[in-house]
Amino acid sequence: MRGRNQKASMVVAALAATLGVSACQSNAPTEDQMSRTTLETAPAELQLMCANAAAAQSGTESSKVLPVSSRKVDSNNYVVDLNANGKPMSCNVDATGTTVSVNPA
Amino acid sequence: MTDRRKLLKTGALLFGVSLLAALPAVAQTQVYDPKTRKWGNYDKTEAYKYWRKNKQVPPAFRRQVVRFRTAEQPGTIIIDGNQHFLYLVQPNQTAIRYGIGVGREGFGWAGIVRVGRVAEWPTWTPPAEMVARDPKAAKWAGGQPGGPDNPLGARALYLYEGDHDTIYRIHGTPEPWTMGLNVSSGCIRMVNDDIIDLHSRIQVGAKVIVLMQGAALYKGV
Repeated sequence: MRGRNQKASMVVAALAATLGVSACQSNAPTEDQMSRTTLETAPAELQLMCANAAAAQSGTESSKVLPVSSRKVDSNNYVVDLNANGKPMSCNVDATGTTVSVNPA
Repeated sequence: MTDRRKLLKTGALLFGVSLLAALPAVAQTQVYDPKTRKWGNYDKTEAYKYWRKNKQVPPAFRRQVVRFRTAEQPGTIIIDGNQHFLYLVQPNQTAIRYGIGVGREGFGWAGIVRVGRVAEWPTWTPPAEMVARDPKAAKWAGGQPGGPDNPLGARALYLYEGDHDTIYRIHGTPEPWTMGLNVSSGCIRMVNDDIIDLHSRIQVGAKVIVLMQGAALYKGV
């Protein structure tokens, strides 16, 4: 009986600790992240990484490849549409900057 | 009401709804309020209220050094028109980020251009199309001298494509509260302190990449 009570109090303590930690945690963005738009485009650096990858793959001069639109696919991935010297291309890039694929659109 | 009238009324309503559905979604800027811990829409009215209260723009639109992974050379200017940021690439995968105001609906553009020339307290001469549509601009058809009320603000970087002036500029403004908004006729506007800072750091000839979703492409790309 005594052991059962001890177990129960340990569970309660663990739950309380978890709740305590949760209460102290905040989902507030850092100051540099305190703006957004309802249009969820890819960050500029990821769009340009895609442009570089597309330039290398298509043999197009990098100054002729421009990202023209982008969208969030999920929490970790974006699709970037590109204009490569007039030809449409599409690129998948993840949030770490790894270009997953580059293809003609 | 007769059946015919009812039909016409219903038809007009449906037509209106279908028109609304056909309109493109306009991106809305939102700003996080650390006090309420909520995101709120940030339009011209909210922006002006914020400026009057704080005498500065919200934290995200203030000048700051950020991490920026890129193969572009230091000194390159990258403009993210959708998120309202201008990045000046620095060494070691960093950039100085500034808040900007950009072209309103129908006036956005994207492309790869360069800084063709720069000016301090520039004269503003509105283009002929602006003179035709805006009576305020018509007043200055012959050129408005530089000064605190001049729409180009403290400095202007004139954007060229090859040897041709694109008519677009990166410039200061007498309306500093408009950072984060789509308000201009296609120019990129910055708080005067920021354009003075940017002007002091860049070279004529610097590459400028303008990203703007759904905007017309500037020729040459």
